[in-house]
Amino acid sequence: MFDILFKRIRHLSLKIKIFASTLAVVLLISVAIAMLARWILISSLTRELEQRGIAVAQSIAERGSGFILDHDKADLVSLVFDAAQLGERKILISYIFIEDTDGAILAHTFIHPFPYALLTENPLPEGVDHSVKLITVDNEEAYDIAVPVKEGIYTLGTVHVGLNKRHIDNLVGKLRFMFLGFISAIVVIIFLITLRISNYITQPISRLTKISDEISRGNLDFSMELGAITEGWEPRRCPAYANTDLPCWHFDQTRMEDQVPSPENVRTCKECLFYKKRRGDEVDQLADSFNNMIWSIKLYRRRLNDSEEKYRSLFDSNPDPVFVMDGKTHVILDANPRAEEVYLYGKDELIGMSVGELESEEGADGVSRFNMSERAGECFLYAKVRHLKKNGAPFFVNLHACRTYYRDKEAVIFSATDITDMVEKDAQLIQASKMTTLGEMSAGIAHELNQPLNAIKMGSDYLNMMSQKGDKAPMEHLAKVVAEISEQVDRAAAIINHLREFGRKSELIIEQVDINEPIRGVFTIIGQQLALQNIDVVLDLSEDLPLIRAHANRLEQIFFNLVTNARDAINGEWPGKTPDNPREIFIKSAMEYGRVAVTVSDTGCGIAPHDLQKVFEPFFTTKKTGQGMGLGLSISYGIVKDYGGEIEVGSEPGEGTTFKLTFPPSGQHV
Amino acid sequence: MRRILVIDDEKPTLSMFSLYLEAYGYDALTAENGEIGLEIFREKKPSIVLTDIKMPGMDGLEVLRRIKEINPDAEVIVITGHGDIDLALKALNLNATDFIDKPIRQEALESALKRAEERLDSLNGKEEEVSVRELAEASVMEIRGNVTSKSEPYMVKAYNEASGDGTRKLVLSFDSSASINGAGIAVLTQLLLESDKRGQPVAIAGPSENFTKVFDIVGITKFVNIFESEREALASLGVVS
Repeated sequence: MFDILFKRIRHLSLKIKIFASTLAVVLLISVAIAMLARWILISSLTRELEQRGIAVAQSIAERGSGFILDHDKADLVSLVFDAAQLGERKILISYIFIEDTDGAILAHTFIHPFPYALLTENPLPEGVDHSVKLITVDNEEAYDIAVPVKEGIYTLGTVHVGLNKRHIDNLVGKLRFMFLGFISAIVVIIFLITLRISNYITQPISRLTKISDEISRGNLDFSMELGAITEGWEPRRCPAYANTDLPCWHFDQTRMEDQVPSPENVRTCKECLFYKKRRGDEVDQLADSFNNMIWSIKLYRRRLNDSEEKYRSLFDSNPDPVFVMDGKTHVILDANPRAEEVYLYGKDELIGMSVGELESEEGADGVSRFNMSERAGECFLYAKVRHLKKNGAPFFVNLHACRTYYRDKEAVIFSATDITDMVEKDAQLIQASKMTTLGEMSAGIAHELNQPLNAIKMGSDYLNMMSQKGDKAPMEHLAKVVAEISEQVDRAAAIINHLREFGRKSELIIEQVDINEPIRGVFTIIGQQLALQNIDVVLDLSEDLPLIRAHANRLEQIFFNLVTNARDAINGEWPGKTPDNPREIFIKSAMEYGRVAVTVSDTGCGIAPHDLQKVFEPFFTTKKTGQGMGLGLSISYGIVKDYGGEIEVGSEPGEGTTFKLTFPPSGQHV
Repeated sequence: MRRILVIDDEKPTLSMFSLYLEAYGYDALTAENGEIGLEIFREKKPSIVLTDIKMPGMDGLEVLRRIKEINPDAEVIVITGHGDIDLALKALNLNATDFIDKPIRQEALESALKRAEERLDSLNGKEEEVSVRELAEASVMEIRGNVTSKSEPYMVKAYNEASGDGTRKLVLSFDSSASINGAGIAVLTQLLLESDKRGQPVAIAGPSENFTKVFDIVGITKFVNIFESEREALASLGVVS
């Protein structure tokens, strides 16, 4: 029961609570005071009137005792009439009569026959100095006051004074009316004051509530009038309003009337009046604080919006596709419009899709490998990753991936730059350089092909000669010739196949290559040539190397380049070269620190230290004009880098040069 | 039975050579490199040597030089890569007597061997290499054998004799087996240049295919025409035989 009541009270508005409780307390006190006061006033007034009645009766008894003893009735009558008619008494006193001890009426003020019923209404007991009793006489109520008339110790009679009750009631009524009126006026005033106070307190609170609600709904653009503080000031007039880089709103500068705000002094303010507490009661200060808070919120929201807009536009208008990917599940969380254009998927299709679907199987080196636990907070570049469009068309991208947070989730944001054109141009360049290499190879090729052709030619001529002569050639000779011809044809075919393989334009898809193959391939073309130049080739190839991800013919191009450079270095002239200088090219393949490493060393002229850093630069050559473009090593460098490899050079002039290539193993073995 | 030494770093070529040469009735010796070749040359003294020029280690030119040191009159035929006349000239300068192209054609080898045989058979004095035959309107200078720097005085003498007053029509008629080395070519070129200056009409007849090529390379063909037969050469000079 109380609980329900308590709850109801709790649910009432603050305004009603303040108002009702204040009013209730005031009313309670007023009523209490009124009751007390009325009781005091009425009882004291009544007693006072009674005392006056008693005093009148006693004075009559005092003065009338002589007349009673003298039986002077006439004086006695005039006495009571005088007493009854004196001044205002005639309104108060309705009658006076005197009786003797025998109950006989000695005098009275009735102007009609004495109502003898009065005699018995209020008998005065013996030994009492007065008695008061409410009686009815002539249909009117009256307080009958009886006082004994005494002479010495004898009682001569009794004086009765009748006080008019209507008159007393009139007085009391008048008093009561005035009093109630006064109390009511006070209550009304209190009521108004309470109303005002409760409004004063609760209005700003309800406005604050409204504003807070508006803020919650995201609406910050409403007029801010919590207290009457605007004084014609508009925050938009502050020069700092539009400049979110300023630390505060610089109200102090702009509010100073003697100073005109200008871009110079607006930044020089030392204290900001805006955040100063103004004079005023707590409600004013609350309103100020609230205003400041709203401005701060507005400011930060503006900044946030600016920033959000800025980054949104960067995201949306980025010329490259940009994706946001969940760090754990690798599911796409967001993608920009460019991603839709490039990948041909709709945004709704992209969102929720796994990144793996964009990355083709061959290019298993993309952002889907991104491991959140690895090297936190860094950005990665995944170069030349093969991606697939919706229609299955492959293209190449460079992926820049960075860790970030997206809606409180660990995420990866990555952009995909289409580099297909570049990759194709690279391939063309490499192909062109390969063709150049092929040209350089031609002398070696001619020699290599001439050998089997020579043997074939001689063998077939021999057969021809035999058939023309009609001689019976020994069977074993014929067999030997035929076998030799067949073998030499195979040899020539192998060389041509190798050349075709070498000259073939590499697919953009990377293969798994045993690095020893291209090394050996080089010597099928120029091995003989090197031998003719008395250059020893020593191969120390480790057999159980893991495969690497590369193109066999591009690697062969690199090794061909390195070997021909080595050859030229050995054939070169340098001070201190002796005829018995070793002429050797040493190639070694092995595993080193988890990578597949190949070193190509020669005993040639070496490279001067100041040239050593330039050897990988395009168009750098130490050869004579027309003998080399200086592109071989720079293209080799590019190719090695493409496969995630490293190429470095060490050299000692006059001692020789060593190139070292390392590649990450693909994880597969031969 | 003549002995022939073949030096080549290619084993298949060597084995073909030995079959081939045996079929021709030669005693074929083979060597895989220059050093072995020289050793065999010293021991077995073959009358003809065929050597590849491009070989690892000691190359054909070095082998040629060493052989000529041992026997200046040795018949050394060098085998050059297809169409590599420069190397052939180098070899001729080192007194190689002939050269053949690789891949070796049957006819080329046959004729080279034949020429060598003929030169070996008619191993006469140097003055006999050159002779002059007088016709009514022209002179014919016949050249055979192996023309080297040693032949120079005879060449010059015969040339002057054939030229008469220096304007007589002249045909240089090469025997099909005739060989001419670098020094010989130099002498010949000198003589032909002088004739050209004088305005003497000269034609060349009958050098082997190889030497026609060499003459072409050294530039002789720029001022002298080469014909296959003596008759054609004479006809070109307006002489009817």
